[in-house]
Amino acid sequence: MDQPLHLAVIAAAAWAAGTLAWVWLGVRGFGRRVLLAPPAGDPAAGVRYAFTAAMLPWAKESVRMHLPSYATGIVFHLGTFVAFGLLAATVAGFELPPALAPTGAIVMLAGAGAGLALLVKRIATPFLRGLSSPDDFIANLLTTSFGALAAVTLLHPQLESAWLITAVVLLVYLPVGKIRHCVVFFSSRAYMGAFFGYRGTFPSARQGR
Amino acid sequence: MASLEERIDALTEAQLRHGLEVFRSKLRAAEAAYLNACVHCGLCADSCHYYRTEPALENVPARKLDHVAAAFKRHFTTAGRLVPRLVGARPFDRAMVRAWLDSVFGRCTLCGRCSLNCTIGIGLPRVFRAARAALAAMGLVPDDLQATVDNSLVHGNNMAITKEDWVDTVQWLEEELQMETGDPGARIPLDKQGARVLFTVNPREPKFFPLSLQASAKVFWAAGEDWTLASDPGWDLTNYGLFNCNDEQAGRITQNLVDAMERLGCTTLVIGECGHGFGSARWEGPEWLQRRYPFELCSVLELMDEYLTSGRIAVDPSRNPKPVTLHDPCNLVRHGGVSEPQRRVLRRSVAHFVEMTPSREQSFCCGGGGGQLAMAAYKDRRIRAGGMKAQQIRATGAEIVVAPCHNCIDQLMELNKEYTLGIQVKTVAEMVAEALVTAGPSPSEGKTTT
Repeated sequence: MDQPLHLAVIAAAAWAAGTLAWVWLGVRGFGRRVLLAPPAGDPAAGVRYAFTAAMLPWAKESVRMHLPSYATGIVFHLGTFVAFGLLAATVAGFELPPALAPTGAIVMLAGAGAGLALLVKRIATPFLRGLSSPDDFIANLLTTSFGALAAVTLLHPQLESAWLITAVVLLVYLPVGKIRHCVVFFSSRAYMGAFFGYRGTFPSARQGR
Repeated sequence: MASLEERIDALTEAQLRHGLEVFRSKLRAAEAAYLNACVHCGLCADSCHYYRTEPALENVPARKLDHVAAAFKRHFTTAGRLVPRLVGARPFDRAMVRAWLDSVFGRCTLCGRCSLNCTIGIGLPRVFRAARAALAAMGLVPDDLQATVDNSLVHGNNMAITKEDWVDTVQWLEEELQMETGDPGARIPLDKQGARVLFTVNPREPKFFPLSLQASAKVFWAAGEDWTLASDPGWDLTNYGLFNCNDEQAGRITQNLVDAMERLGCTTLVIGECGHGFGSARWEGPEWLQRRYPFELCSVLELMDEYLTSGRIAVDPSRNPKPVTLHDPCNLVRHGGVSEPQRRVLRRSVAHFVEMTPSREQSFCCGGGGGQLAMAAYKDRRIRAGGMKAQQIRATGAEIVVAPCHNCIDQLMELNKEYTLGIQVKTVAEMVAEALVTAGPSPSEGKTTT
């Protein structure tokens, strides 16, 4: 029963990887901006800063002001990453050491809970509701269900089929909507870091010039 | 001339296509990534001074981005073409043009504070500049903003000051400088061939704030600097092409500076105290002209810092006893990378310097950036959005706000009235000039006492 589903997951993952690569190549296809103004700083240092300290509460006001949302987002992502790890292990035929199962299940359940909390926040906050398209709700529901079912599957392996079907749907949907940020997040942040690094604003203007 | 609304109504399909083509032509990989990346988390909302002072959906940076991204998705992505409703893709039509106009001209100063606070790291101002460029290509730049650009193109300065008035003002200020310093040899040189420094100013200085120009001249005098102003186009550092986002026009205005440097044979172009002037000359100018400058360029803040650090000038901070705070112009600091020279200068020149919170790259825009000062239609929003800066200023308890930008100064003076802040607004050079210590033989003889 599970063998065809494993193949379906592999096919869906191939689709996701291929289409995400298509998205990434499409972005790259817009070409690089050739900068002629001499740099005031180091773009590479800007990129490093953008991916590290610039994301922490003391450097980022939006994080400081919204610590619960920020923490919820991190837990949501952590749970999702663990669920994808479990999916890869399952399809590859690796057995998770039994001792790790409760911890994995807790992390993934927490992630799913966080996803649900973010969904409730989106519905309950007028400006977030106004900002949302159907994709915002579908992407969240799919990811949250995927994480929750992964956790449940660890405890009740007989439910694996339902989880794998959810995984297939999620992987097929992944490049269509906002979950594509799993790729463009990295390029966006890198471009932003390089921009401010080139201009000497990052690592931090407090170091000045 | 037809109103913007009438012009939007009269847009043809060909004009819309042209606008979209121009928009596409301004995008590079960075902007394409940004347009694919927003997750609608909404954490950017509180970073925006428009939203903080008026918490409405249309003021959320992500919403402003969404208008632009919707058209991008619809016309340039597969998902947007196939399932537009699902992913929030919408066609670039008249309704969309109205939304762009309202968002990128009417509700944004291109300050970039949202970029630093974005979960993803989306550079919204870069995207909005592409959108403004598309609107410009369709003739939809607000008239008063375009008039400012046209002044620069036609008269060589954005306030249409005649050469005669400019030269008269400089000569009058030179006499004032001689009286102030007691040095009959104190000069405000015009068209001095081969001078080391070509100093450029904001036309608001000769027009409304001549003492600001005189203060810079006094600092140069004290430092014994070899400098000059240009009498012909090239003396005005402003470039509202940065705001109407017509790169061809912006390039022509930048060319005035390059021509003046080449005409006078100067080696260093010094940009006076102006945020967008620095940003456009330092960062965007070479891109607009598609060539590197054959000369050095720096901000006058960096120059004054160098004078003080090297001991070329000396100051007595007790001459500026009132508490002073510093405003960080977005184009100079967040987008310009110049944050510390002005601080070093002020710490030496004033007795009581207090930082705003937040400051430097996290500082709030005053509300006058992005060409807002030139767009009367959005004045009420501008003044309301400036409320964040007013709060910041009030919290410092400062009596003097130093703003190294004449556009910001105009906005801060309006905020001063609107929010009854009871402050004075000055430039860095004015504070330095006030604190200058000179004695003995006159600096015009090259013997500044430090």
